[in-house]
Amino acid sequence: MTLLLWVVLTAGPTSSATASNELNVMLDWFVNPDHAPLFVALEKGFFTERGLKVKFMTPSNPNDPPKLVAAGKVDLAVSYQHQHHLQVDKGLPLVRVATLIATPLNALVVLADGPIRSLADLKGKTIGYSIGGFESVLLKVMLGTQGLSLKDVKLVNINFSLSPSLFTGQTQAVIGAFRNFELNQMDIAGKPGRAFFVEEHGIPPYDELIMVAHRNRVQDEALKLFVEGIEAGVQFLVNHPEESWQLFIRGRDSLDDELNRRAWIDTLPRFALRPGALDHNRYMRFARFLKNQGMIGRIPTLESWAVELGE
Amino acid sequence: MPVPRLGIICIGLILLWQAVVWITQVPPYILPPPKSVVLALMDHGPELLGHAGITLIEILAGLTIGTIFGAGSALLMMISRGTKHWIMPVLVISQAIPVFALAPLLVLWLGYGLSSKIAMAVLIIFFPVTAAFYDGLRSTEPQWLELARVMDAPPHAVLREIRIPAALPALASGLRVATAVAPIGAVVGEWVGSSAGLGFYMLHANARMQIDMMFAALALLSAMALILYFIADAGLRRLIFWQTEQEGTVR
Repeated sequence: MTLLLWVVLTAGPTSSATASNELNVMLDWFVNPDHAPLFVALEKGFFTERGLKVKFMTPSNPNDPPKLVAAGKVDLAVSYQHQHHLQVDKGLPLVRVATLIATPLNALVVLADGPIRSLADLKGKTIGYSIGGFESVLLKVMLGTQGLSLKDVKLVNINFSLSPSLFTGQTQAVIGAFRNFELNQMDIAGKPGRAFFVEEHGIPPYDELIMVAHRNRVQDEALKLFVEGIEAGVQFLVNHPEESWQLFIRGRDSLDDELNRRAWIDTLPRFALRPGALDHNRYMRFARFLKNQGMIGRIPTLESWAVELGE
Repeated sequence: MPVPRLGIICIGLILLWQAVVWITQVPPYILPPPKSVVLALMDHGPELLGHAGITLIEILAGLTIGTIFGAGSALLMMISRGTKHWIMPVLVISQAIPVFALAPLLVLWLGYGLSSKIAMAVLIIFFPVTAAFYDGLRSTEPQWLELARVMDAPPHAVLREIRIPAALPALASGLRVATAVAPIGAVVGEWVGSSAGLGFYMLHANARMQIDMMFAALALLSAMALILYFIADAGLRRLIFWQTEQEGTVR
């Protein structure tokens, strides 16, 4: 699939990299409230008033977009901080240029009226996950705070079938549930969930959603203008959440449902208010965490994989 | 197909793959060169074989159950014309629905173990087996049936002695198709949720950016499907020795 996309983008009209005011941006997933600052900026014209022509695309697989950025097929991609560390470690020439969501969204979720009251109750239970490697590390560390190990639970890859696998009792807990999304989804379905927030159980805080670009584009003025556009977008969003919601669903009727409306409110406090700012210590702390867990081999100098654009 | 020719085709495909890598300069995280996939196969051989074993069990169980169900339904449709009007639409619907849409349901109903993958494989091979065998049962040589009628043969004897043996070559071609597609069913099942198997391994490798390992699993899966097909083909030819090449079976 990735290959197909690569071929299609190669065959298409000239690479966007040549036209400096046109930016092709690939989202991580279908459009959802996590992307609010981007779409508010788009609808309010914050990109066009900076002379940018921005086009958003959605992938079929959340792993693909950064690869296409690395291959020079798109200009920017929405990625995840943990994924970014891994891809940089594998040699992809990527650099983080902005943050969309500045806290973790990932959580371990169980049924609220189920038998799991604390993480210690997970002993002997089946836990579903979707992202091999990273989520096993999250679980290992979270269970470790209770003196448990991965051997004390049964792991099964549920490939993002989060709420359904809990509802049907196939799993007793799932990791990879987004607190702003799955908790609302479960509540609407009449089976409310309980979340154990990863950063409250041994995981150093990180940015859930970031924007990545190719390393050789950090001097590109267009990228800097784009990040300024996001900043204006998030500013408008937190000042006018209701009006922003109307902008978000304008022309995108399928997004106008109860789940998205509730997620919209719950996501508001999670957005990066200074999307372009980079917290050096926090990024290095998380890199060290991943290295200690054996997820990445070495930690390159920060400037090579995370930057503040401009001056 | 003689072994040398197969070897030439495989080598040809690998050369083509290498050529694509050279010519298009596609980066290794999108399409790794053959060499790194071979290295991944060697480095992770035992682990990969373990997962391949699980997938193989799913495929074989799916083939067995799917063949029994498929052949059974074809016979049922042959014996009673009434059931045909009920089974045929179900068959067609089962093919019209993409298995990817059904896979999550099956996994949630049957659990994340082997049974959901076997069910996927059964679902995917049910149609080719049923359709091929049913067609075979219907298209018996008219002269043979005429002969049976002249000899006053009872219907069950006609079915047992004439229709079924005459239809077995058709069933065999259905089985060949089934063998080739069954691995897809098993892997789709694993893709949706699992804790072992080649599909599970590919999900894992993809999430960890180990693209060479993902392609190694893919190569192993293709090899497995190929070997299964040739074993089935050779076995079926030996069993159904009265099948002649000009009968137009899948070759």
